[in-house]
Amino acid sequence: MAALAPVQVSPLIKFGRYSALLLGIMWGSHRFRVNKAKEDAWRVEEAERKVVRDAQKAEEKLRLNREELLYLANQAGVKVPPNF
Amino acid sequence: MAKALSGLAAKAPGMIKGVVDYSTPKLNTFWHYARVELAPPTPADIPKITSGLQSLVKSAKTGKWQQVTVKEAWLNTLITAEIAFWFFVGECIGKGSIVGYKV
Repeated sequence: MAALAPVQVSPLIKFGRYSALLLGIMWGSHRFRVNKAKEDAWRVEEAERKVVRDAQKAEEKLRLNREELLYLANQAGVKVPPNF
Repeated sequence: MAKALSGLAAKAPGMIKGVVDYSTPKLNTFWHYARVELAPPTPADIPKITSGLQSLVKSAKTGKWQQVTVKEAWLNTLITAEIAFWFFVGECIGKGSIVGYKV
């Protein structure tokens, strides 16, 4: 077995280690909960914003597409249907 | 591929035995030291802990902490750093991930 006897660590150091470990666990889980609440709220808002943004983008795309077709028809000399 | 896999499967028991044979004495050594050096403080240690804390406060008040040798100061720095690292290990356990907060 091992040749050297284990060091007798000072009780103060042991206390320091384990209280730091415990404090760290508490701090980490606290921070995790706070960050998660914030992030979840932001994700909900972002999902709402995404719906609006996607609608705007689709509308813009339709408009640009129509303009381009009108221009193309003009250039090609095609008569545009009245209901276009 | 299939041949390699079956070969691996045939070798697996031997490999596992090798890993166990290799790691057992090392783990025994680890446990020999860890069970004493990494043990949490017991209630019997409380008087020593309180007296240790008092002597820390006292040396902070009287300025005795400035009167240590470089070697002692270095060792105290290392011990403080070690305790700080225990805190960060605890934080990793508390947040449930190694790097960053996976919210």
